[in-house]
Amino acid sequence: MRQTRNPYQILGLGLSIAGAIFAPIAYFLIASVPLTAIAISAVMIGFTSLALANARPYISPEASEIILKAGMENTAALLEELGLRNKAIYLPSSLRGGRPQALIPLKDVIELDRIKEKIPGRLIVRYGNNPEDMAIAVTTPGSIKLDGLDINVGATPTEIERAMTYVLTGLLDLANSVAVIVMDNKITVDVNGSRLHYEDIWYYRCLGSPVASIVATIACEALGKPVRIVEESYQRGKSHILLEVLS
Amino acid sequence: MRAFNLYLTIIILASCLANVVMTFMGQNDLTVYFTVNVIIFLVITLLHVYLNPAARRSLSAIALVLFGGFMVIVVLKVIEVLSS
Repeated sequence: MRQTRNPYQILGLGLSIAGAIFAPIAYFLIASVPLTAIAISAVMIGFTSLALANARPYISPEASEIILKAGMENTAALLEELGLRNKAIYLPSSLRGGRPQALIPLKDVIELDRIKEKIPGRLIVRYGNNPEDMAIAVTTPGSIKLDGLDINVGATPTEIERAMTYVLTGLLDLANSVAVIVMDNKITVDVNGSRLHYEDIWYYRCLGSPVASIVATIACEALGKPVRIVEESYQRGKSHILLEVLS
Repeated sequence: MRAFNLYLTIIILASCLANVVMTFMGQNDLTVYFTVNVIIFLVITLLHVYLNPAARRSLSAIALVLFGGFMVIVVLKVIEVLSS
């Protein structure tokens, strides 16, 4: 027997049925307009709840967390095995064949002039002519999420903030609100009510937390330029992320 | 699912408050109650622009039906005013 566990579905069905039964009773038998109005409101809220029930993801948050952690641990193992400690550079989709990705260079100082051309879609990539111009290119949580984004991400601070709020608050429900300040080549992002915060582990030191990764991907995609996470901190439910736009 | 919970909570509180206030004001016209509830639904749904696309599609369908009901009431009221 299929068990219904979706609370929105249970609430929606309960309110809709109760409201539909109570409305004619209140109107014809009790002859009370306010009670009839409450019954109609219950039906409306019930249908709203049913609409939200259909929009819930097919997989549970617990399953999503397991999948996310598995992917992160695999990437972390790869980074540790290669001894890579450099900060990742987030590349826009125009430089990575249609999908934004993060590039972790093998050497500390990287000349960005060499990443003007499209980089081949492989794990280990060469971005310049010198033998040491090597890096590994990985897909981050932000790269995957942006594929299905149905809004245009513009280059102005307001448009960047709107896109980040849309993804983090509306699509992923990872934060309560996002504030963006753009100054020269620095972007400061404050994520309020962040549910996935920064931890001092190898993966986060290289690629940033999942929230910072999403924020960096949106910023690089909006500006069409590579972006690096310079600083990330978490305090009292608020993530403070500082991005550097590389050009 | 905090965005969904917040949206539902605001709608429930707003419609309950509106119904209670109208009852205490002695309102006895069902169309007024319905119209106010529809307006509350439409305004709150419009304010929650960041809900995910699937939820917005379903809510738009409900909003369309409710707006249809609202327009029927408006047309009936206009006919009533014009014919009197």
